[in-house]
Amino acid sequence: MRAYPYPRLSGRVSLRVTAVELKAPGESREPLDVKAFSAVEQVVALGGTERDDWESARLKLSATVPSKATDPDGPWSDVSVVAVLAEGATNARTVVPLEPSTESGREWTGSMDVWRADHLDRASLNVHVVARTDGVAGRVIATSQKDWIVDLSARAPKRQRELDVVEVSFSKGPQWLQPFKGVPWIVDTSGDVAAVHVNTDFEGLTDLLSGAGSAAEGLVRDLMLAQMRTDVWTAVFHVAIGDLEIEEDGTPLFSHDWRGEVLREMLPDVMPGRPLEEALGEVHRRRAGASGWIDLQPRIHFAATQRAQMPKALSTAIRGLDRLHQGADA
Amino acid sequence: MIHKPAYVPERLALLSDLNAAQYITDGLLNGKEGVPAIALDKVVEPLPHEGARTASGPLRELVEDAMHEYEGGKPTQADAWLAPRLHATLRLSRREAADRRLWNHLALGIAPDYVVWRHGKRSKVAAGRFRGPADTQAFARLWWMAELFRNGPDYRPVVTACGVQDVPNTLLRLDVIDHRPTALAMVRLMETGAVTTGREVNALGKAVNASAATLMYDVIAPDVERDGLPGQEWIEASESAGPVPRRMLPEGPNEERAPGSSVELLADHFAELFADAPVRGRVADEDGED
Repeated sequence: MRAYPYPRLSGRVSLRVTAVELKAPGESREPLDVKAFSAVEQVVALGGTERDDWESARLKLSATVPSKATDPDGPWSDVSVVAVLAEGATNARTVVPLEPSTESGREWTGSMDVWRADHLDRASLNVHVVARTDGVAGRVIATSQKDWIVDLSARAPKRQRELDVVEVSFSKGPQWLQPFKGVPWIVDTSGDVAAVHVNTDFEGLTDLLSGAGSAAEGLVRDLMLAQMRTDVWTAVFHVAIGDLEIEEDGTPLFSHDWRGEVLREMLPDVMPGRPLEEALGEVHRRRAGASGWIDLQPRIHFAATQRAQMPKALSTAIRGLDRLHQGADA
Repeated sequence: MIHKPAYVPERLALLSDLNAAQYITDGLLNGKEGVPAIALDKVVEPLPHEGARTASGPLRELVEDAMHEYEGGKPTQADAWLAPRLHATLRLSRREAADRRLWNHLALGIAPDYVVWRHGKRSKVAAGRFRGPADTQAFARLWWMAELFRNGPDYRPVVTACGVQDVPNTLLRLDVIDHRPTALAMVRLMETGAVTTGREVNALGKAVNASAATLMYDVIAPDVERDGLPGQEWIEASESAGPVPRRMLPEGPNEERAPGSSVELLADHFAELFADAPVRGRVADEDGED
């Protein structure tokens, strides 16, 4: 918990995206299907739209703020509520004021334009309550707890990213894949999102993955997907640690892109019970130093396995095999 | 010192981190061996966009002019000259500029000699200058300096910011400069001479960043509403644009400038913060601040 030198607003501040409209050049705005955004996941997915030429998206926003904020007897005045959309990878930051829509001052609404050219991958959207207090204007007195995600490429509004699978012939495909032509899949972390390249030269592999086969094949497939996810999480963690920016005094920094996100997500499992910054510093020291890195491998493996839901996939497969045997014995 | 690559491809392209890695050799970092240009050209991918702004020629001329102009002086001084001109030549959206593969190609495929000249005068070049985060990579950092410190079409604040030692190294990685009036207010302090050295810039950045944890600059010093159209038009106009001027500053996208009142207000506020900020090596002056 951090301490603030001024009174903060207690209670819950929440944000909802109530509608999304897309605009293509020279055309009027068109509403996006409601399936493209989810209040449960708190995600807006802009990648599933049929039009690929949209240039901006207008998000209709609604925020709920504790009524204490606008209580005339309260410690705050000049209260404003603003929505902030930010993406580290493009340094984009858009701020729009919301207007009170009810007498009580609890509901605030407004809209925000998201320019496609300003964003790359995933932007986070949250809301802040700002007020004058103790004579100082512009104090942040409350912030929404959970960010919304505006995802430029996702087809469905899910917080958890889907695995990006590319099917390609390793022998005939890009040159860098050619040395790996005997390998069933390779994880590529060089793009915006990690991708798995599946080797179409590997006989039967793509059929197996397409999931059209028997029950037994389905079990193997799910297990393989879990293994791929484990490989991806392991790879992205190593890339993120290997690519750290270091301050002059030796302090490592979280990067602004997915590398930073990966570390924030995995470090609590790799270095449990420590604040994120401290955990990052420790992992960096161990990697850069002569010892301690080997001790971390089981923890990295643990963190990756958890995220890939490998234990679940494996027990489902084992149980499924049992059931198949029972069916065969009967 | 390495020279111009034997082969420079006609078009800019994308070079993935993975493919870039194998060309960043010790020989290159020490400035002794160039990049095998033909081999490198086989592993690149085409840009998602086409047209005049994908031509490599204008960029090649630009870096050669920069090296010629600052040959006798310090290569660091070339930053202020090159940043706005690189920005106005490439004409990228932020979405395009966030793709690290573009910068990898620029550094390894188009102008590795520039990277070595600029960052390897005294010692070995750090690998991150060829392939690295946006605030470190040799060309990405210049482009982002120009993008984040320009005031609409006006690149003058960029020149000021690049001219002060350490701004790219310290301020560029702070989230607070994503708010335009904040970035411009910091430049204002550099213009007036209140902040001049690298240590002072560092101290200013830390103070402003700490203050932003509880104060919302976007509210007390609002920027104009974001409009993406002037940027698009500027990018489309690249088809008919000539080479960027060498003596005068080029003009950036015709976006509305940040409100002067917001910049003024923050500049005053930052001046107060800076007066109280600990600066390494600064002797407490006779004003008797604690």
